[in-house]
Amino acid sequence: MGNNNLRRHLLVAALIALAFAVLPLFVTERYFLGEVIIFLIWSIVAANWNLLMGHAGVFSLAQMLFFATGAYGVAVATQFAGLSIWLAIPVAALAATLLALIIGAACLRLSGAYVALLTYAIAEMIHILIVTDTACFRQVGGSCLQLFGGARGFSRFEDFGFRPLLKADWILGNYYVVWAVFAFTIFALVVVIHGRLGLGFRAIRDNVGYAGSRGINRRKIQLIAFGISAFLTGLAGAVYAGHFRFAGPSLFEFSSLMFVLAMVIVGGLGSTWGPLIGAAAIMTVVEITKELGDARAIVLGLALILFVLFLPKGLAGSLERLQRATGLSRKPGPEASTSKDPA
Amino acid sequence: MDILIQILVTGLTLGAMYALASVGLALIFGTLGMFNMAHGLFMTIGAYAAFSLSGYLGLVLPVGLLIAMAAGALIGVLTHLLIVRFMLTGPNFETNVMVATAGLAILLQDVLLKIFGAYPFTQPVKVEGTIRLAGVAITLQSVVIVAVALVLISAIAFLLLRTRFGMTIRATAMNREAAELMGVRTTRVYLQVMGLAGALAGAAGLMISSLTTLSPQMGGDPLLKAFVICVVAGLGNVWGAGICAFALGLLEATVQFEFGVRFGFPVMLLLVILVLVWRPQGLFGRERVVRL
Repeated sequence: MGNNNLRRHLLVAALIALAFAVLPLFVTERYFLGEVIIFLIWSIVAANWNLLMGHAGVFSLAQMLFFATGAYGVAVATQFAGLSIWLAIPVAALAATLLALIIGAACLRLSGAYVALLTYAIAEMIHILIVTDTACFRQVGGSCLQLFGGARGFSRFEDFGFRPLLKADWILGNYYVVWAVFAFTIFALVVVIHGRLGLGFRAIRDNVGYAGSRGINRRKIQLIAFGISAFLTGLAGAVYAGHFRFAGPSLFEFSSLMFVLAMVIVGGLGSTWGPLIGAAAIMTVVEITKELGDARAIVLGLALILFVLFLPKGLAGSLERLQRATGLSRKPGPEASTSKDPA
Repeated sequence: MDILIQILVTGLTLGAMYALASVGLALIFGTLGMFNMAHGLFMTIGAYAAFSLSGYLGLVLPVGLLIAMAAGALIGVLTHLLIVRFMLTGPNFETNVMVATAGLAILLQDVLLKIFGAYPFTQPVKVEGTIRLAGVAITLQSVVIVAVALVLISAIAFLLLRTRFGMTIRATAMNREAAELMGVRTTRVYLQVMGLAGALAGAAGLMISSLTTLSPQMGGDPLLKAFVICVVAGLGNVWGAGICAFALGLLEATVQFEFGVRFGFPVMLLLVILVLVWRPQGLFGRERVVRL
C-alpha cells in the first residue's frame, strides 16, 4: 500500500510545486509575491516541524532555533567569512543539522515532555546568550558588531544579488530561489513520510516498546528525523535571511515559535499536507485581524486552544472526513493511522 | 566571608522563588501528568492582582500575598474547568495539553499587555529596610521571600502528608483508577491540585515582582528555571523539585558572581544535561517499568 500512497502524494507534490511555479505569470503585484514568499518559507518550517512532532513523535520546541541557525549562518558566513551567499546557504543548513544532532544526542535519551522542556530550555539559553552578548567582534561602520549580532541582529547584508540583474523584477529572482527550496522540501518530505523511514517514525511514535522489539532503534530513528527536519528548516532560514537580509533574535522568540506551532496544529498534526493548509489559514487570519488592531497573540492563542480541544486532527483531518463522507476518498493514508497507545 | 554570605543570601532568595514556582509545576505534573506551559502566566497574574488590588485594601504584605494566591488559584481552577478537563481522557494528552496551555500563555500575556501596557511598574507590596548580618547588609525583602517560601512549602508538605485531603491527592497521583475505586473523586482532586498549584504560582509571582518589576512577560524567566528544576528532579517529584530549586539557586548565584550574570542559566542548564545523561529519569525520579 505504501507504494501507491507514495505515488499519489508525489503527484500532489508535483501539482503544488507546479502551481507555485506558474503563479508569477498571473500575479505580478510585488506585495502579493512577497506574501507568497513568506507563506512558502513558513510552510517549509511548519511541514518539517510536523515531520518531527507529528510523524516521529519528538515534541521538540527547538524548531525556530534551527530556522534561526540557518538565517544566522548566512549572515555570519557572508559578513565575517566573506562567503558568497550561494555557498553560505548550504553551509548554514549543515550548521543547523549539526546543531540538531548535538541537541538530539543530548535530549533523545529522554522522552515525551522531558524532550519538549529541554529543547525549549536550550533554545532559550542560546537566545539569552546572543541577546546579552556585548563583546565587539568587529567594528562595522563605526559601530560595534557582535559575533552573533547581539540584541539587534544582522541586517542589510548581501542578498541573492538579483537587484542589479533583474532590476525592477528582482523579487522574481528571490521568489524562484525560495520556490526551489520549497519544491525540494515537499518532495523530500513526501519521500520520507511515505517511505520506509516514515513507517519507522510512526512505529516509534505509536508504540516505542513494540517498535523496539521489532528491531527499530528509537534513538537512531529519532536522531535521523531530527537531522532531516533541521536541515530543511535551516535551508528555509537561510533563504529567509537571503530574502529579507535580516537575521536576529526575534526569529526564535517564543511568539515566533507559537506562530509556527499554530500552523502545524491548525493544519493537522501528523498529516502530510496539513502544515501547508495551516500556514495559509494562519497567515490569512493574522492578516485580516491586523486591520482590527494588534490581536495576533490572542488569535494564535485561541486557535491553539480551540483546535486542540475541538479539532485535534486539524483542517487536514476535517478535509479527510469530508472526503470520506462524500465517498471521494481512496485508501486511508498514514494520516488515518491510529493515535498513540496509552502504553 | 562577606562574599560568601552575599552569595548564600542571593542563592537562597533565588532558590526560594524557584521552589515556589517549581513545586506547583511538579504537583500538577505528578497528579495530572500534564505540563503546564501557562504556569509562568499564573505567576504574572498573581503579581498583577496584588499590584492592582492592594491599593484598595492596603499595602500590607499578608493581604497582598492572599490576593496573589487567590488570583493564582482562580486562574488555575478556571484553566482546569475551561480547558484541561475536556482533554484528560483524550488521546495524546501529554502533547495536546502542552500545546493548549502554551496557547493560553500567549493569550493571557497579550491580555495583560492590553490592560496594563508594557510599563515596568514596581511592586508596591513589599517590605522595605535592611538588616545587618556579620557586616553584610541583607534586604528584609529577601528574608521575607525565604520565610514565605518555607512556610508555604511546609504547609503543602503538611497538607500532602498529614491530611485526608493530601492522601487523596497522593492516591490519585499513584493510580487514578485504584483511587477512584476507593471512593476518591479524582475529578475534584484535579481541580483542587490546579487551584493549589495556582496559589503557589501566585505567591511566587508576587515575590519575584518585588525584586524586579512587573511586566506581562515577567513569568517567562522563572518558568524556564522551574522547567529545568522539574526536569532535573524527575518530572512530578514534588520533594525533589523543592530541594533542586534551592540547590540550583545557590549554584546560579555562585556562577553569576564568579563568571557574570549572563552565564548563570547556561551553566545551570549544562549541569542539568550532564545529570540527565547519567540519570535520564532525573535525580529523584524512579525508573518506570513499561509493560507492553
